[in-house]
Amino acid sequence: MAITLTIPKLEMSMSEGTLAEWIVADGAEVKTGDFIYILETDKTAREVESPSDGILRHKAPAGETYDVGTEIGEIV
Amino acid sequence: MAQTNLGIEPQTLKAIYGEMARIRAVDTAIQAGLSAGKFTFTYWPMTGQECIPATISQLITSRDYMVTTYRGIHDQVAKGVDLVGMFAEALGREGGVNKGKGGSPHISDPSSGSMVTTAIVGAGTPIANGLAIAAKERGEDRVTIVNFGDGATSIGAVHEAMNLAGIWKLPVIFLCQNNQWGEYTPVPEYTASPDFAVRAQALGFAGHVLDGNDPVTFHAAMKDVIASVRRGDGPVFVEARTYRLGLHAGVGDNKSVTKEELAVHKARAPFDNTKALLISAGICDAEELVKIEAAAKAEVEAAIAKAMESNPTPESETIIDVFADSDCVPRRGHYPIRSAEGDLPGERKTMSMVEAIRDAQHIAMTKNPEVFILGEDVGDPPGGVFGTNKGLQDEFGPNRVRPTPIAEQAIIGAALGASIAGMRPIAEIMFTDFFGVCLDQIANHAAKQRYMSGSATHAPMTIRVQTGGGVGGFGAQHSQSTEAWLLHTPGIKVVYPSNPLDAKGLLLSAIDDPDPVVMLESMKLLFTQKAEVPLGDYRIPLGVASTKREGTDISLISYGWQVQQCLEAAEVLAKEGVSAEVIDLRSLVPIDYCRILDSVKKTGRALVVHAAVEFCGLGAEICSTINEELWGKLKSPAIRFGAEYAPMAYSSVIEASQVPSAKSIVARVLAAVKH
Ligand SMILES: Cc1ncc(C[n+]2csc(CCOP(=O)(O)OP(=O)(O)O)c2C)c(N)n1
Repeated sequence: MAITLTIPKLEMSMSEGTLAEWIVADGAEVKTGDFIYILETDKTAREVESPSDGILRHKAPAGETYDVGTEIGEIV
Repeated sequence: MAQTNLGIEPQTLKAIYGEMARIRAVDTAIQAGLSAGKFTFTYWPMTGQECIPATISQLITSRDYMVTTYRGIHDQVAKGVDLVGMFAEALGREGGVNKGKGGSPHISDPSSGSMVTTAIVGAGTPIANGLAIAAKERGEDRVTIVNFGDGATSIGAVHEAMNLAGIWKLPVIFLCQNNQWGEYTPVPEYTASPDFAVRAQALGFAGHVLDGNDPVTFHAAMKDVIASVRRGDGPVFVEARTYRLGLHAGVGDNKSVTKEELAVHKARAPFDNTKALLISAGICDAEELVKIEAAAKAEVEAAIAKAMESNPTPESETIIDVFADSDCVPRRGHYPIRSAEGDLPGERKTMSMVEAIRDAQHIAMTKNPEVFILGEDVGDPPGGVFGTNKGLQDEFGPNRVRPTPIAEQAIIGAALGASIAGMRPIAEIMFTDFFGVCLDQIANHAAKQRYMSGSATHAPMTIRVQTGGGVGGFGAQHSQSTEAWLLHTPGIKVVYPSNPLDAKGLLLSAIDDPDPVVMLESMKLLFTQKAEVPLGDYRIPLGVASTKREGTDISLISYGWQVQQCLEAAEVLAKEGVSAEVIDLRSLVPIDYCRILDSVKKTGRALVVHAAVEFCGLGAEICSTINEELWGKLKSPAIRFGAEYAPMAYSSVIEASQVPSAKSIVARVLAAVKH
């Protein structure tokens, strides 16, 4: 089953986040726990881990700010 | 060789670790899923607090009751809540233990003994008392454990609940998980108390400070605590010291402390230390621990995958679980016809409303041993400040008519908890104004328990409350009408009788009703009116209005003590050539729109009258419905008449003028009829 990646809500006050950089290329294979992209919020930048094994598909370009919940990719 | 002088059975320590591993796997999976954007929900991490419920899980069974908080996923896991159902609940899915209607902060799963989970700080404690009352009265040896944070010790509900548990020697454990933080405020900034256990000692029962991060000493101490509570030695307060390693809510480390300080607390956290102890004591080898953790991880992953297959709970569920019967939910365009009471028993006796209420309670208590009364001064000789329970304590004993401390949150909470366990409590609140100090228990808990739990639990409790007004001299805090507070809170039924016969029949219906019902008892009517009341058991069904006087020119729609004003007004109006019909609603939720609309269809005009403030009152609601449904068929728009927008005045001149009277009702009607 494909897993949808969305901009996470890390804290109650968080409403948007910036997908600063895709660490793993579109179409590449990932394993659970691999860092797949860098997420910046007004407070921190953090590397986000893959929630499962599979092929990463980008669905949104890096360098942009998105609302929490926006779909940015999936792991198939 | 396993070390033998550990102070705990090796298998027990291993089992505690097993539970800690399950909790850790759940915490890790939630944080990972949230941070990857795999799912989104509000999470209050309990990282660092795993040892407390993991240890307790070895000392209790699913028969024991638990109450906990939003930060209670560890408690749920250790109590045995099904993980698929728990995750589906957190995700708001129909496969959740509570149909996705409560979410993780409101888990209620009687099959595992997880009865109530609240997101209101400290509010679980009064409810836990009620569960404990049920266990005690039924002669069961269950203990009730209520978990709350250190911050909760500052709130009144916890004090009220502890005091009540102390005086009634209830089998309840107040388990304060002191994680050193109340949101973003550390303990020393919000209390001068040296510890929290002293508060129990001040209230006359034992309080212990324990290391909640050490499974060995915590297990030994809790074993004694649980045994003593189970034996019936009364409540115990436990302050289990631990540390919140994560944020108040969300994903990541606790950012209110420095990295260095957090590192100190991480080093003291129970998970890795217990693992190290199992190895150093020779109970497990590293390989075995890896297996335990892998099994926990696999269990959790499978549960999450299964939970995510469940669909989000659909819109069609919106009004299901508000009440047992969705037809009781007021809904635009849906006006069910409910049967009226039919013939009542023929034999009658002259009774005041006080006597009728007493009679109803006597009948209910005789029929069902699980009906009991609690409230201030409800015991004999006074039998309540208005004497509505006179003689009942003498007849049924102190466990079934329970005078309480002056603590309204404790009263409502105890009734609520006992009702969740299936008893039929009647809580008496002396004046409706005092709802101001227990509205949390009524509106956030009693009213919502069925809904938040997806009907896994419900609260068949009755609240009887006296309402001032119309008698004069009681002032702003003993004379107001508070029904609008209740009517605007989905999940609570409200009845407001205008006479002794209805009072008895409505109360008997309320006690048997599967949902929480508030009966408002007008002080003005309690003694002044006498009526021929049928003897024996009879019911006035909820949601059935009654026509007190027939008429053709206007419908006067009212309830409670204002019905009498409407009847007097109708007399005067008759002399003016205006034929007024008087409808007594009797029950405000469920409301009988069917009979209201039928009456207004006939008369073409409506005036809704109440003693409550007109602005945003029930009158506005009813008029809006009449005007919308009967638009084009009305001779004039439906109008309302309530009290002026002011607190009730002490001056009898103001008080008499600020609420509708027969005279002012007549004036309002004549103006409308001329319209
Ligand atoms: C009556 C009430 N006031 C305030 C809040 C907001 N609030 C949510 S959690 C929290 C902190 C509670 O701290 P504590 O009781 O120590 O429990 P913990 O969160 O640490 O488990 C507060 C203030 C609330 N939910 N309920």
